Amino acid sequence: MTIRISRLLLTGLVLLLSVAAPASAEVCAVDDTDREVCLAAPAQRIAALSPGATELVYAAGAGEKVVAVVAYSDYPPEAREVASVGSHTRLDLERLVTLRPDLVIGWVTGNPPEQLERLEALGLPVFYIEPRSFEGVSGAIERLAILADTEAEGERVAGEFRDGMAALAARYAEAAPVRVFYQVWDEPLMTINDDHLIGQVLRLCGGVNVFGALPRLVPRPGEEAVLAADPEAILAGGMGEENRDWLDHWAQYPQLTAVARDNLFFVPPSLIQRPTPRLLEGSRLFCEKLERARERRGALGS
Amino acid sequence: MTALIRPLGALALSALAALVLSVALGSVTLPPDKILAALGGQGEALSRTLILELRLPRSLAAFAVGGLLAVAGALMQVLLRNPLADPYVLGLSGGASVGALMAMLAGLGSVLVSGSAFVGALVSTLLVFGLAHGRGGWTPARLLLTGVVVAAGWGAVITLMLAVSPADRLPGMLYWLMGDLSYAGTPWPPLVLLAIVCLLAVPLGRNLNVLARGAMQAAALGVSVRRLEWGLYLAASALTAMAVTTAGSIGFVGLVVPHMLRLLLGNDQRLILPACALAGGTLLLLADTLARIMIAPEQLPVGVITALLGVPTFLYLLYRSQ
Repeated sequence: MTIRISRLLLTGLVLLLSVAAPASAEVCAVDDTDREVCLAAPAQRIAALSPGATELVYAAGAGEKVVAVVAYSDYPPEAREVASVGSHTRLDLERLVTLRPDLVIGWVTGNPPEQLERLEALGLPVFYIEPRSFEGVSGAIERLAILADTEAEGERVAGEFRDGMAALAARYAEAAPVRVFYQVWDEPLMTINDDHLIGQVLRLCGGVNVFGALPRLVPRPGEEAVLAADPEAILAGGMGEENRDWLDHWAQYPQLTAVARDNLFFVPPSLIQRPTPRLLEGSRLFCEKLERARERRGALGS
Repeated sequence: MTALIRPLGALALSALAALVLSVALGSVTLPPDKILAALGGQGEALSRTLILELRLPRSLAAFAVGGLLAVAGALMQVLLRNPLADPYVLGLSGGASVGALMAMLAGLGSVLVSGSAFVGALVSTLLVFGLAHGRGGWTPARLLLTGVVVAAGWGAVITLMLAVSPADRLPGMLYWLMGDLSYAGTPWPPLVLLAIVCLLAVPLGRNLNVLARGAMQAAALGVSVRRLEWGLYLAASALTAMAVTTAGSIGFVGLVVPHMLRLLLGNDQRLILPACALAGGTLLLLADTLARIMIAPEQLPVGVITALLGVPTFLYLLYRSQ
């Protein structure tokens, strides 16, 4: 009798385990520092420590699992409702730990390494991301989706982004080159070189970055250098999403080709300066602006 | 002896109160029973992590750094016989900052950043030490001038490094320069150093008292002035180097706390040095607690708060003094 009961129990246990096993399956993914991060079970509570990471986690279909974000995590709008754990350069570790995340998405160069090391010492898995290419964006979405067990949505979004960028690349592969200055900031004047993600977008659209060959990722050229380079178009972000002040500043130099042909274009910075799926929309805008610059060549007969 | 014990006792009590406050307050509110349980190693894992892994080490580090800076400031003021002297006046924090920023530019981890800050502080100390010797005689004025010029040199190097560094590393570098306890690791090395200095202060205090009145008088009274001055310089440098390595260059504490205590307690180094350790530690501990909770979850740089707390207090004491 006892044997039968224990056998029953055993069968029951085995059944239970076999049911439970897939739910607690280990998930693994390699992060942007080439470390493999493994979770005993897919993440249920995610802390995203940069505005870009927040967007990518939402894009991967795991938005509902985000329990902590940092300041300026303003997209998608739902992210504004999530608890903040300080700014990305100075995290409130107490609040972060209290939210009991089971996965922390860190920013390789943006978060203080001391604080992320502390989190790892406390036993929280940290997955570092920092996409530096278009493929890096879609890859990050897919890898986040694996960790959050939302692969279907992640693959869909990543695929859309990949296809959209590929379509742009195909469309503008033969386009006539346009010499462009992209302004990241005005005082000091900042631009990007060819290695920067924005530089890659410029190239995709058939643009030639006048400062593309400079060694630093975010060079600070002088105003003279811009005048000497005489770009055919100037693209700028700006403080806020609609501020054209930076472009108006260039209008005082009518001898600039970009000014003479009115090729001063505003692109909302949030669409182009974050490595997220919105970059596709930003890239489309970039390409349209450059196309307009090409059209104006013919109109002016030069 | 009671003249020593009473003020020190009062300062020790206020330090203890500040410590309790800083462990009890945080951006996350914990009920007292949970805090007590966590301190005893009991209770739920989360509150244990919050108290034992995050708050307590940071509080102890804040206390130790504040104490070290105040004692170093007091020693520098005796050494240079100049009321404007602070731990950084001889260029030590500049050297440490250059070391730390170089490590950050190279993308090294936090341990190496601290190590390189320490090396930078040592290099600066030895540089000033060597140059101030010069060819002729040695005077505090010469040491001060050498140190101030070396500090200006470091300042230029720091500005240059900030100007050419990649934009993504700038925030980290600026925060390091402002001084911040959220990067502090284990609090034990600065605490142990602080304790050692306080123990040494009592037997050496008499000689320091004599020195504070002037080198000639001290020599006439049989104090080996030169050896004492170099000892002071090296001790103050070691304290500052440890403080800067732990928490970056936090300003103000080292300049004002010794003056505040002199206004309150008189200028007996046997009393002032341990009092500086306690009061400096208390000030930084309170400031760091406020920095953590004032606009939580955002965190303020602690140097802002030390100045905001210290400036009115100091001005009031100065105004009231005769």
